[in-house]
Amino acid sequence: MTLLEVKNLKKYFETPKGTLHAVDDVSFTIEKGKTLGVVGESGCGKSTLGRTIIHLLESSSGQIIFDGEDITHVNKKKLHQINENMQIVFQDPYASLNPRQTVEETVAEPLLISGRFRKKSDLEDETGRLMDLVGIDRRLRLAYPHELDGGRRQRVGIARALSLNPQFIVCDEPVSALDVSIQAQVLNLLQDLQAKQDLTYMFVTHDLSVVRHISHDICVMYLGQIVESSPSKELFTAPLHPYTKALLSAIPSTDIYAPHKRIPLKGEITSPINPKPGCRFALRCPHACEKCSTPQTVEELLPNHFVACCRGKELNQL
Amino acid sequence: MQTTKQKETSFLSVKNLSVEYTSDDEVIHAVNHVSFDLQKGKTFGLVGETGAGKTTIAKAILRILPQPPARIKSGEIFFEGEELLGLTEEKMRKIRGNRISMIFQDPMTALNPIMRVGTQIAEAVRLHENCSRVQSVEKAIEMLEMVGIPGERQREFPHQFSGGMKQRVVIAMALACNPHLLLADEPTTALDVTIQAQVLDMINELKRKNNTSMIMITHDLGVVAQACDDVAVVYAGEIVELGTKEQIFTAPSHPYTLGLFGSLPDIHSDSQRLYPIEGLPPDPSNLPQGCSFHPRCPYATRACGDRQAALADLGDRHLCRCINLEQIQKGGKKP
Repeated sequence: MTLLEVKNLKKYFETPKGTLHAVDDVSFTIEKGKTLGVVGESGCGKSTLGRTIIHLLESSSGQIIFDGEDITHVNKKKLHQINENMQIVFQDPYASLNPRQTVEETVAEPLLISGRFRKKSDLEDETGRLMDLVGIDRRLRLAYPHELDGGRRQRVGIARALSLNPQFIVCDEPVSALDVSIQAQVLNLLQDLQAKQDLTYMFVTHDLSVVRHISHDICVMYLGQIVESSPSKELFTAPLHPYTKALLSAIPSTDIYAPHKRIPLKGEITSPINPKPGCRFALRCPHACEKCSTPQTVEELLPNHFVACCRGKELNQL
Repeated sequence: MQTTKQKETSFLSVKNLSVEYTSDDEVIHAVNHVSFDLQKGKTFGLVGETGAGKTTIAKAILRILPQPPARIKSGEIFFEGEELLGLTEEKMRKIRGNRISMIFQDPMTALNPIMRVGTQIAEAVRLHENCSRVQSVEKAIEMLEMVGIPGERQREFPHQFSGGMKQRVVIAMALACNPHLLLADEPTTALDVTIQAQVLDMINELKRKNNTSMIMITHDLGVVAQACDDVAVVYAGEIVELGTKEQIFTAPSHPYTLGLFGSLPDIHSDSQRLYPIEGLPPDPSNLPQGCSFHPRCPYATRACGDRQAALADLGDRHLCRCINLEQIQKGGKKP
């Protein structure tokens, strides 16, 4: 069952230099209980996409359909309801928690606002349950964020996101500020919670090994557009878009005896302000040709494997 | 474990280095009895998590630790036959930025925001090489071009560059005086993978050209696999395992090293579950008795809390600090 469908979503920002196309014509669907990974380099619009979907930012155009209901434009009251079903875990656990609230206050705040618990003892039971669920010791109930390490803070952030029993959570780089050993603990926690509560995640990250580990499907974004999307395993074993190929080849491998061939990319990501029509990756692409300056269409080159590249077929001999 | 002969032939030799930080009434043992050698032209990787003391080791070599609160409690650092910790500040200044230079982690804060990048590079050149202002600027332009930035951009300010380009400027600055030893503190952590690949390639290329030795500080085992010859795994200020890259990657032996590898999601496999290290890194002001890893160690026995193991040689100078090594290798208790 499709839980979330995004159709032609756009989010533009007006800047003094022109219009910044942060998210440009993005479409995808997420099935209930699955994880969609969104990968891309910094500045590709992946966080903006997540924030636009849960209405932290107002979309410029397009459609967001959640649980069969169009929620693109909603009034305040409706927004309240939506927010109970869609939550977010932020990247930086040091910045996303209120330094003057204890762990208990942070986790209980959404419950208080929703008005689900009238009795104080019920509220305390529920916050206690949530803390157990994410693995924070109950004795830390009265601790302030500065007393906690990064991993625990991120657990508080997760408990807060889970407090209203949402169906859908946007995880915006939830582990990139954590050390590897702690990162693995948090990733396992997210997977356990998904299995237990049938949660649906949109997992935004720049870390490709993390995304492969946790996602069922993956979208690769470049300058506001999805250039390739496919089931997770297929994307890593048989990428079709030149950008995905270069991105995967750039990951430093821990296998010292099988040094893979790198596809060097020239230059850096260009500006998303007033982009020219056509493929945005063309300037850095080793296979760029004249056709690339015309707008690209997304094609299903293999079953469930979508690529936005005019030479996709020819380059992959399909 | 080192003979005098090795000390003389080593290009850099750190011996028994201990550094502590003092705050109000706490003493933080940041680096504890660290020893290693680095040969000319080789890259030595220091791997570990936040707060393990990696950066402190590098700063101690360059003697740029703020003292107080830091204090080098013991140790000797031999660099090209000279003992650095005993040098006067004046002599040290001649070495810093000249024979030893450092690339800092965050290119956004390592550059002076109100100075043109060319001037910043030229400053380092003028301090160490007997040359005129014009010559130093020419050298700065040459360095920028070497790292792939058009020379005419030397008149621009740091905010006009992207993150990857700023890191190149920092690298150009560090390499301007042809250092013999380069300390690279997480040089690519703040960068995207495609830019990271470019920067790593560039560092490796420049290293080959000038036969520079390097200490690469990182938490990314992938970067180590690509860039280093020898590796030391640091935990709570101690080297727990040391060996060549091949030894560490094919036969990791210390439980902490094993844990690090288990925590990494593998991009080439479909493993569904990670095996993280339980618990948290210890509080450096209150290190556990005995082995500092034993509270988190799945193989820990009672003896681990009593005594600290010495670095034992597993053969071919692959050193590991664990008293239960034999049991672990026999495939004893699994996590």
